[in-house]
Amino acid sequence: MMFRTRLLLIFAVAVAAAVGMVELIVSSRARRAFENMEARRVDAMVRQFDQEFHRRGEEIVRTVQGIADSARAREIALTPDASAYLSEAGTLASTDRLDLLELVAGDGAIVSSAQWQARFGYKEEWLLSEPDWQPRTAFLRREELPDAVTLALLAVRTVSVGEMKLYVAGGRVLDREFIASLVAPQGMRVLLYRNLAPAFSPADLIDGNGPAESAGQLRPLVEQVEKQGKEALGTVCTGVTAETFHALPLKGSGNEVLGVLLIGNSRRDLMELEASMLRTAVIVAVTGILMAIVLSWWATARITRPVRRLAESAGRVAAGNWGATVEIATTDEIGQLARAFNRMTHELVEQRERLVQAERVAAWRELARRLAHELKNPLFPLQITVENMQRARDSYPDQFDEVFREGTSTLLAELSNLKQIIGRFSDFAKMPAPEMQPVNFNELVTETMRLFEAQLVKANIRASAQLDPAVRPVPADAEQMTRALRNLVLNAIDAMPGGGTLAVRTKAVGAGVRLEVSDTGQGLTPEECERLFTPYYTTKTHGTGLGLAIVQSVVSDHKGRIAVDSEKGKGTTFRIDLG
Amino acid sequence: MDKLKHVLLCILTLALVAAAATRPRYGGTLRVEMRESPPSPEAFGVPRGFVLTTWEAGHRAVFTADENAPGGRPYLDAVDIQMARSLRDQSVDLELGKADVVELSPSELRRQSASRRVWSSSPVRLMALVFGPRITDPRVREALALAIDRTAIHSVLLQRQGEISGALLPQWITGYAFAFGAAADIAKAQALVAGIAPADRTVTLAADDPANRGIADRIQLNARDAHLAVSVVQATTNADVRLVETRIPFADAPHALASVAAAFGLNEPPAARNPEEQYAAERNLLEGFRVIPLVHLPDVYGAGLRVQGGPVITPLGEWRFDSLWVEDRP
Repeated sequence: MMFRTRLLLIFAVAVAAAVGMVELIVSSRARRAFENMEARRVDAMVRQFDQEFHRRGEEIVRTVQGIADSARAREIALTPDASAYLSEAGTLASTDRLDLLELVAGDGAIVSSAQWQARFGYKEEWLLSEPDWQPRTAFLRREELPDAVTLALLAVRTVSVGEMKLYVAGGRVLDREFIASLVAPQGMRVLLYRNLAPAFSPADLIDGNGPAESAGQLRPLVEQVEKQGKEALGTVCTGVTAETFHALPLKGSGNEVLGVLLIGNSRRDLMELEASMLRTAVIVAVTGILMAIVLSWWATARITRPVRRLAESAGRVAAGNWGATVEIATTDEIGQLARAFNRMTHELVEQRERLVQAERVAAWRELARRLAHELKNPLFPLQITVENMQRARDSYPDQFDEVFREGTSTLLAELSNLKQIIGRFSDFAKMPAPEMQPVNFNELVTETMRLFEAQLVKANIRASAQLDPAVRPVPADAEQMTRALRNLVLNAIDAMPGGGTLAVRTKAVGAGVRLEVSDTGQGLTPEECERLFTPYYTTKTHGTGLGLAIVQSVVSDHKGRIAVDSEKGKGTTFRIDLG
Repeated sequence: MDKLKHVLLCILTLALVAAAATRPRYGGTLRVEMRESPPSPEAFGVPRGFVLTTWEAGHRAVFTADENAPGGRPYLDAVDIQMARSLRDQSVDLELGKADVVELSPSELRRQSASRRVWSSSPVRLMALVFGPRITDPRVREALALAIDRTAIHSVLLQRQGEISGALLPQWITGYAFAFGAAADIAKAQALVAGIAPADRTVTLAADDPANRGIADRIQLNARDAHLAVSVVQATTNADVRLVETRIPFADAPHALASVAAAFGLNEPPAARNPEEQYAAERNLLEGFRVIPLVHLPDVYGAGLRVQGGPVITPLGEWRFDSLWVEDRP
C-alpha cells in the first residue's frame, strides 16, 4: 500500500473514530435519559392502573353489599324453593350495572345467574371455601360464560337470615372498556392479557379498542410473566416501530397469574433522535473525511515527493546505475535520509571501482600464473634439448648429428605443444556469437558419445545415453553445443581416473530441453562448485581451467542456464537447460 | 227495628248487585292470542257455538256466534283470534288490555297476580329432542338422553308445569309412561362418550320456539357434563338436533302415538289391540334414541279482567268459548 494511501486512511479512520465516539457518547446519554423518563412514565401508569383497579373494586364491593343488604336478597335467602327467582340475578345485575351476578344458596347451589342463567342448581364450591367473605375486597377471578371464559373483578357478600344463607357474588368484566378508561400519555399504550386459555391466545390480548394488533410478538413476554409470576421487561419490533413493554402480573385470590398488564412505550422518539444524531455524525464524518483527504493529499505530497525521489534513485541503483543521487532540498529526516543515500551510492561506486581493479589484477595474476605454469613445462625440455645439443657438439662431435636429429625432433614436438596451449587461450578469447538453428539434441548426444567410445573403453568407463524421445529440435548453435558437451564429457573422464559410469541424459522441458552429464567420480566440495566456472580455475594438475568456463560461456550465449550438483565421493552432475 | 230493616235492605241490595254482576252478558268480542298457527280451519277446529267467518292463514281467524247453535247462542258475538304471536307479545298485549285471553309462559306464571284467572289443560303437548340424520352414532344420542336433568328443567324453567316423561304419550293417556326412564345418569353418559372420537361429540341444537331457548341452554350445559359439545344455534339453521313441541291431538293411545310418530318423522306404529302392544310399539319407536321425550306440557291460558265465565279450554286442550262473556268495565 502506498504511503500516501496509508496516510489518507489513517486520517480518515481517525476522523471517523472521533466522530463515532462522540456520537456513541451522546447517543448513550440520550438513551439513558429516555429510559429514566420511561421508567417514571411506567410508574405513573401503574399507579393509575392500581387506583382504577381499586376504585372499581370498591365500587363493586359497595354494589354487591347493597344487593346483599336488600330486602329482596333476604326474601330469596328465606325461600326454600328458589325456582321463582331464576331471572332475579339478571334483573339485579341490569339494575346495578354489574356484568356478573350470581345468587347462590347456602349449600353452594346457584339460585340465579345473570351471566349464565342455565347454570341454576349447579354448585359454586369455591364460595364455600371462604368462611367469611365480609372483610374481603374485590379480587380477580376467571369466570366461565356460556360461550367463553372471561376475566372479572368480583366481590362476594353473604346474606344470613337465621340459619338460611345466600351468597351474592357480583362483579364486572375486565375488558377493553376498563383499559380504555386508563389515560395513557402520548407514546404509551396499555394492553391487558387475560389468561383464560391453557396456551397463549392472541384474541385475549386487548387494548382500549379491542383485540390488540401484533399480539404474537408479545407472546414470549406474556409467557415469561405467567411462568415466573413477576414483572418482566421486553422489546418488540425494531427501528422506529420498536416498543418497550413492562409486563406486570395480575394475580387472583390463589396467587395464580390470571392476567398480565402490559405498558408499552414507543421508542419512536428515541429512535428518531438517534437517527438524527447518526445522520449528523455521518455528515460530520463525511465532511471530516473529505477534509482529511484534501489535507492528507497536500501533506503527503510534501512528504512523499522526496521519498519517491529516493525510491526512484534506489531503483536506478538496483538497475546498475550505482552513481545515482538524490537532490537534497530539506534538512529534515527525509533530507538526512537523502544525504545518507547519496553517501551510500558514492561509496558503492568507489568500492566497485576498487573491486574491479582488484579483480582485474587478480585475473592478470592468475593468467600470468597459468601461462607461466603452462609455458614452463614445454620450455624446460627445450632448454635441456638445446643444452644437450651444445654439449654434444663440444664434447661428442661424432654423435652430434644423431643428437641434433633427436634434439630438433624434441624441439618441434615441444614447440607444437606450446602452439596448442596458445591456441586454446586464443579460442577462449575469441568465442564467436552462436548461429542458431534447430538442433536435435538426441542426435547431438549420440554423435558426441560415439567420438569418445574408444577413449571411454580405454579409461574403463561405462557410458550410457538416456535420451527422451519427446525432445524436439531446439534453436542452438550445433557446433558450440557439441563443443560444450565434449568439454563436459572430457571433464567427466578426467574426474574418473580409475573408471566409473558416465551418463548423458536428455529430457523435454516445455518447448526446450534439459541436458545432464553425470559421472561417478570423486565429486566436488561446495567451495569448488562455486568457483568451478571461473576462467583458468581447475582442480586438475593439468589443464588450462578454461573447459567449464567455455561451457558456461556457450550456455550463456544461448540464454540458457547451467548448474552443478555434486557430493564429495559420489560424483557430479552438470545440468543445462535451454529453450 | 229500623236498623234491622236497613241492614236487610242493604243485604238485599248487595245480593241484587252481585246477581247482576255474575249474570252472563251477551255481546262483545273476545280477543284471543296464541303461539300456534294451524295451517287450515280444519286443523284449528271450530269452537262449539261459533262459525268461521274470517280466515287469514297463519295470522288471524274470526269466529262469529252461531244463532242456531244446538245448545243456544253463545254469549259472545265473536271471537277474534290472533295466531303466531310470541309469548312475550301475548303477555304485553294482556298487560295493555289489547288481548283478553293469551297463552302463558312459565315465566309469566311466576309473575301472575292472584286476581288474574288462569286455566290449564291436561298435559297435551310433548316437548322432545328430535335428532336429524347427521348423528349416526346411537351412543351420542343415548348419552345426551342420559345427560339431561329433566327435573331441573321441569321445576325451574317450566315452573313445575306438566310432567317429566321419558315416554312419547303422557301418563294420563296410556297409564304406563312412568315405565320409561327419565332420570339423568351422568356417569353412564360419560362412559358412553368416552369411546367416541372428539370430532363426533359435537352436536348442534336448535329450539324451534325461541321461548324454549332457556331449556336448550340448560341441555347444552347438561351435555357438557357428559363431555358432549353441544352448541345452541338459530332455529333456522339445519341443526343436528331440534327441541320441538308437538300437540297430542287425540286422547286414545293408538291414534295419539301415530300422531306423535308422524310429527317426529318416525315410522308409523302398528295398530295395538291391547296396552301391552301399545307399550311395545311406543318402546320400539324410542329405540335408537332418535327422539328423546322430555316433558309433557299442558296448555295454559290466562285471561284479562274483562273475561267472565269459563273455563276457556277443556282438559283435553280444546277451546270453549261458549261459556264465556265479556264485561266492559270503566
